[in-house]
Amino acid sequence: MPSPPPPGAAVKVCFITVGATASFHLLLQSVLEDEFLLALERLDFTHLLVQYGKDGQSLWEAFQSRCPPGSAGRHGLEIDGFDFNQAGLDAEMRLTRASPSEGQTGGLIISHAGSGSILGALRLGVPLVVVPNPTLKDNHQEELAQELQTQGYVVASDYRGIASALDRAEALRTQMLTWPPVRGVSQRRQRTLGDVMSDELGFLD
Amino acid sequence: MESWLSWSSLFWAATFATVAGLSTVIIFMHALAKSQNSQVPRWRSPNTPIHLLVVLGSGGHTAEMFSMLRRMKLDPSKFTHRTYVVSSGDNFSATKAVEFETTDLSKKLSTDEKPASTGSYSIVTVPRARRVHQSFLTAPFSTIQSFWSCLLVLRGLHPDQQSLKSSPLRSPYPDIILTNGPATAVCVILAARLLRLWFSLCSVFSIGRGAHPSAPASSDFQMRTIFVESWARVKTLSLSGKLLLPLADRFLVQWPGLEGKKAWPSMRETEYVGPLVD
Repeated sequence: MPSPPPPGAAVKVCFITVGATASFHLLLQSVLEDEFLLALERLDFTHLLVQYGKDGQSLWEAFQSRCPPGSAGRHGLEIDGFDFNQAGLDAEMRLTRASPSEGQTGGLIISHAGSGSILGALRLGVPLVVVPNPTLKDNHQEELAQELQTQGYVVASDYRGIASALDRAEALRTQMLTWPPVRGVSQRRQRTLGDVMSDELGFLD
Repeated sequence: MESWLSWSSLFWAATFATVAGLSTVIIFMHALAKSQNSQVPRWRSPNTPIHLLVVLGSGGHTAEMFSMLRRMKLDPSKFTHRTYVVSSGDNFSATKAVEFETTDLSKKLSTDEKPASTGSYSIVTVPRARRVHQSFLTAPFSTIQSFWSCLLVLRGLHPDQQSLKSSPLRSPYPDIILTNGPATAVCVILAARLLRLWFSLCSVFSIGRGAHPSAPASSDFQMRTIFVESWARVKTLSLSGKLLLPLADRFLVQWPGLEGKKAWPSMRETEYVGPLVD
């Protein structure tokens, strides 16, 4: 957890989640590299919080010994991590939301392309970078990430291009669409889940 | 002469078996198409208590399911009994079900001006069809065990369903089955279709007539099944989706690229309804 901010300085959190079920070492390695930390510093981030997964422990510890707290390798960032949270990641995701009363300015979320994490971030309205896991066999995650990017909800990125995706995410912040999508006039004829259930139950009018 | 007899009988037996097999397949396909294209008549009075059965899956599927139920603002005074089917060892889904029942559904109750009953719910655990790393040799047996368990759930006979007995429902069978794709869903929907087939055969041969006085004219209008393809599926159907395409009564998809798919030409098409998750 990020420590309380010094008075006057705004906290800007970048939260990274690699997911709980599959390991995603490639993303974890990329976000612990110098290039990415430099990009965070350039964009005025103050905190980096990493959910590194059950088997990300060794990579995380390697980073800790390479760049111990306070060292120059951290680029002035407060860097924290945890393996995973049984209760879900809503609390961690909320740290990235703009909240003037708590001295938080709007941060961003970088997530694997699991639907649960994507929806969690979309609901918060925080800019989201979706990174599909190329090591998963049946990779329909890539399609989801691309489709959401096309519609203007997220930034889709390869794990290697994560530092440059930060700039695109900052650009997205100013023109983000709200989630869930508002049903336009053209979608009025679409049935909702409640409508379909009523059809199938055959209620008398 | 003898050899001619045996060859000829073998030929006729083979022909007969082929014809019988093919006609069974054609009858089944025709019956499925007919059932899928049938519409439920308006027969149920609006205040009838409804039993909803939700099949939950692993992490992502479960999260999506509760996201959909939240967004549609599931009314616990209308859907008076909710049954959640989880696979054995899936504590996440069971926890999420309790959380949904105790926070979302009761919160809805407290904000209503006139407090209504939230009804009851049960969480039912069925064995997995195939555990991770389980041998393929034993998998058929565990699948049968899982399938049998699903049949018990649908008939209200599973030991986890005690609260169903005290609910005001007249029939143990769920009125509506909702799922979004885990492997157990295939078992549950197949079991529901087989029970419906059995009931319709019973009514054809008038065995046990009067055993279900509350049932509508056709058994085809009980245990209706709705499959929602995962929001994560943009261009291709999931394996459960492909298997359930000819079996589910309604097949909803959340992305336009999956609209209009069907199992074979005379079947019902998938319906694009836009994102249902919140």
